[in-house]
Amino acid sequence: MAFLKDFLILVIVFAVIKPFDCERLHEQIYSSIEGGAACFKRLNGTHQAGCSSSDKGAVGVAQMIYDVTDAQWLVYNATVGPCIAVINTALFHDVIELLMAQPANVAGIIVYHNATTRPTTFSQESKCPNEYSSGPGSECLSSSTSSNAWNEGGTGLIRRDIPYPIFYIPQTRLEEIEKIENCYKRYNLDRFNLEGKPLCSVQLNSFMFAAVNSAVCLRRSATSALLTPTKVCDPLGDQNVHYSLFPLEKGEEVKKKPITLVTARIDTASLFDGMAPGAASSVVGMVSLIMSAVTLSKMIPVANASLYDNNVLWALFNGEAFDYIGSQRVAYDLSRGAWPPFSPLTPSDINLHVELGQIGGSLQIYKENASWPLYAYAASSFSQITEFLVVMSENSNAFNITLTPEFTTNLPPSSLHSFRRILKNETDSGDLPEVLLVDHQGKFTNTYYESVLDDDNNIGFIYHNISVGPEGKFTPTDELLANGIMQETDIQVKMSRLATALARTLYQRVTGKAYNGDITASAHLADEMLYCFIRSQACRLLMAADYATSSEETPSARASPLYVGVAAWPSPPAVFAGHLLALLAGQLLPLDRTACDAQTQVGFSYYWLRGWNRSGVCVQTTMNFTQAMSPAFIIPDYEMSSGMYSTWTESVWQAMSARVFVSASGAGARAAALCGAGATVLAAALTFWLRRHAAALFPHAPAPLHTDDARIMQTVNC
Amino acid sequence: MDLNRLPNDKKLQLCKWYFKVGCMFLPFVWAVNAVWFFKEAFVKPPYEEQNQIKKYVIMSAGGAAVWVCVLAAWVTVFQTHRVSWAATGDSLSFIVPLGRA
Repeated sequence: MAFLKDFLILVIVFAVIKPFDCERLHEQIYSSIEGGAACFKRLNGTHQAGCSSSDKGAVGVAQMIYDVTDAQWLVYNATVGPCIAVINTALFHDVIELLMAQPANVAGIIVYHNATTRPTTFSQESKCPNEYSSGPGSECLSSSTSSNAWNEGGTGLIRRDIPYPIFYIPQTRLEEIEKIENCYKRYNLDRFNLEGKPLCSVQLNSFMFAAVNSAVCLRRSATSALLTPTKVCDPLGDQNVHYSLFPLEKGEEVKKKPITLVTARIDTASLFDGMAPGAASSVVGMVSLIMSAVTLSKMIPVANASLYDNNVLWALFNGEAFDYIGSQRVAYDLSRGAWPPFSPLTPSDINLHVELGQIGGSLQIYKENASWPLYAYAASSFSQITEFLVVMSENSNAFNITLTPEFTTNLPPSSLHSFRRILKNETDSGDLPEVLLVDHQGKFTNTYYESVLDDDNNIGFIYHNISVGPEGKFTPTDELLANGIMQETDIQVKMSRLATALARTLYQRVTGKAYNGDITASAHLADEMLYCFIRSQACRLLMAADYATSSEETPSARASPLYVGVAAWPSPPAVFAGHLLALLAGQLLPLDRTACDAQTQVGFSYYWLRGWNRSGVCVQTTMNFTQAMSPAFIIPDYEMSSGMYSTWTESVWQAMSARVFVSASGAGARAAALCGAGATVLAAALTFWLRRHAAALFPHAPAPLHTDDARIMQTVNC
Repeated sequence: MDLNRLPNDKKLQLCKWYFKVGCMFLPFVWAVNAVWFFKEAFVKPPYEEQNQIKKYVIMSAGGAAVWVCVLAAWVTVFQTHRVSWAATGDSLSFIVPLGRA
C-alpha cells in the first residue's frame, strides 16, 4: 500500500511540473538571431579570404557602435574581453579598417541595414575587381593610392582574410537588432563598471572547414582519410548560357558564317551567404541582352537563316565575379576548339565581340532624365569596332542614349580581360576585335558594386505589374508611354530602348541594311524580367519558362541570389536566363510532349516548358548550356599558384547561427567552486577525525582483518 | 593473476612470454612486464629463476624506454613540421584538422 501511495504522489508531481518544464534550459538562456547571413570563406590558389569563427563559435560582449568613437573605445579601451561590434551599414565603411587593423579585442561583427540611413558607398569588392586576371594594359592597382581605381569605395573585404566572423542582418529583420540593442542598453551601458557584472553577449557561429588555399583544401577533400572522409571545399562554377540567332553549322568542311558574339554576365557576389542581388552590377546588363536577343529573333526569323551570311551568338557568362570563371572557360575552350561543344568555333570565326558590361549604376543618377549616357571601351580602333560604334550610336541616339567611345587598353572589369589574356594573339592582331559597353567613364557609377545593397532600390526599380496577354504578348513600349503607364525616365523604358538599338545594329550587321520595321523591345518585358531577377522568382515569366514536368509548387517569393555558387550544385539564375531565352526567342512548335521529345533536327534543342497557359509547350531553340568551371580544375596537374586561371573554391560549413544571451558575471561560478573546495576539505577533516577516534566512537567494532584470506581479497581488489 | 601464488618456474615462463609478445612492436606489453615483475626481479629474496627474470625485466624496461623516446621524438617532429610538409603531412595524418593549416 505504501508503495502505491508513493507512486501516486510521483505521478501527481510530474503532472504538475510538466507544463512548466516545456521550455528547455538553453531556450531560457539563449535567444537566437534569425534571418542573418554570414560571411564565409573562399580560397584561391594562394590565399584564403573571408571569415570563420572557431568551431565552438565566437563569443563576445555586445557593443553597439553608434559612431567612430565607440569603435575606438572598443578597440583601445574595452577591458571586458573581446566584443561583438553591432554596426549600421552607414557606419561600416568608417570603422571597418580600424576593426581589421586591431582585431585583438574584436570577437565578431554584426552589420545591419536600416533603410533610413542608406550609405553612400557600400562595396566589399576590391578597388580593382579581378585585378589579378586583368588583361595586358590594365592600370588599376588596388595597392596604389592613386585615384584611378574602378571601384573607388571598395573595402576589398571579400578578398581579405578576416580574423573574425561577420553576420549581416537585412532591413526585414531589424527586430533582431532591436533585441540586441535592448539587451545592450539593459546590461552593458555603464562602460566603466562592466567588470564582474552580468553582460549582454552574442555568440556567432560560422565555422569553416577549409583553410590555407585551394590546393590544400582540394587535396584534403580528395584524400579519404580513415576517420574524416570530409569534403572541405568545392570549386566555384555553374553554367554558361549561349544562344545563336541561326543554328551554328556543324562539321569541319562547312563554311562557317562570321559570328558577332554578344555577351553579358549573369552572376554577382557579396560578402554574405545567400545575399547577392546584383541589380546594377549584372541584372540590368543581362536583362538588356536577353531582350535584345528576343527582339532580333523577331526581326530576323530563324527560317530566313539561309538568306544571310552572318550570325549572332549571344552568351551569358557565369562566375565572372571570381576571376572571370565563365569567360575564361569559354576563351580557353575557343583556343582548343571546344566551344560551343556541338559545333566548335575558332577565334577567327568571331569577327566582333560586344560585351554589355555594368550599365545599371547610372540609372539612379539619371532617374529624372530621359537620357542615359553610355561609354564604349575598346583597346584599339579596329575597323569592325568603329563601324559597329557608328551604327550603334546612330540607333541609340534616336532614343536619347549617347555612346561615347573610349579607346584605351585600360579596360573596366569585364569578360574582355579573359579573351585578351587567353586569346592574346587574336585580340591584339584584330582577328577578334572587342568592345565593351558600360555606364561609367573611369570609376564605377555603381557605389554598391557586388554588395548586398545592390538591390532594386539601387537602380530605382518600380514594378508596374501589368498583366501579360495570351501566348505571352507583351505591351509595346510606345503604347505604355502613350497611355501614361510608364514614362521616358523609367528604367524599363531605357532598357527596352537600349535593347532595341542593339538589336537594330546587329540586324544591320547580319543583313547589311538598316532596319526599317516596327519591332521593338518591350518595356513591359523588361518590367517582368527585372521583377523575376531582383524581387521574386515566383513571377509570371519564370513560371511559364519552367519545365512543364516541374512540380507545381510556387517558388519562394524572393529573388534568387546571383552568386555563382559551387560547381557541384547548379544555381537557378543560369537556368532562368537560358529558359527565358528559349521561351521568348525560340520557336513554339504545335507538338505534344512525346513528339517534342522525339525531335532531332541538327543545331536545335527541344524543351518541353510550361508555357503561358500552363498546359505545356514545345520550344525549338538554339539555346544551350555549357559548363562554367575554371580551366584550372579540368587541366590535369594544373599549378594552382600560377595565377593563369581562376582557382576559387568555397569552404564547406556545417552550420551558421547567431544568438544573444546574458553571460554570468562569474560570481556564481566562483561561489560554486569555493563551496566545492570547502566541502572537500571538510569531508577530509571529518574522515581524519573519525579514523582517529574510531575506537571511542565504535566501541564494539570487529577487529581489523589480518588473515590470509583477507590479504587475498585485498589483492584481488587492487 | 596473483604472482604470489605462482610457482617460480611459471613466473619465469610468464615473464619470458610477455617479453616475446612485446617484441611484436608492442612496447606497452614490455612496460607492463617491467612493472609487473619488478618486485619479483629486484625486491624478492633470491631464488633460482630470479636472474633470468631480472634479465627479461631489464630488457623489457629498456625496450619500452627506447620506444617512448622514439615515439616522443616522432610526435614532436610531426606536430611541429606537419604544416611545412604539405601533402606528405596530410597523407601522414590520421585526422586532418578542419579550418586550419
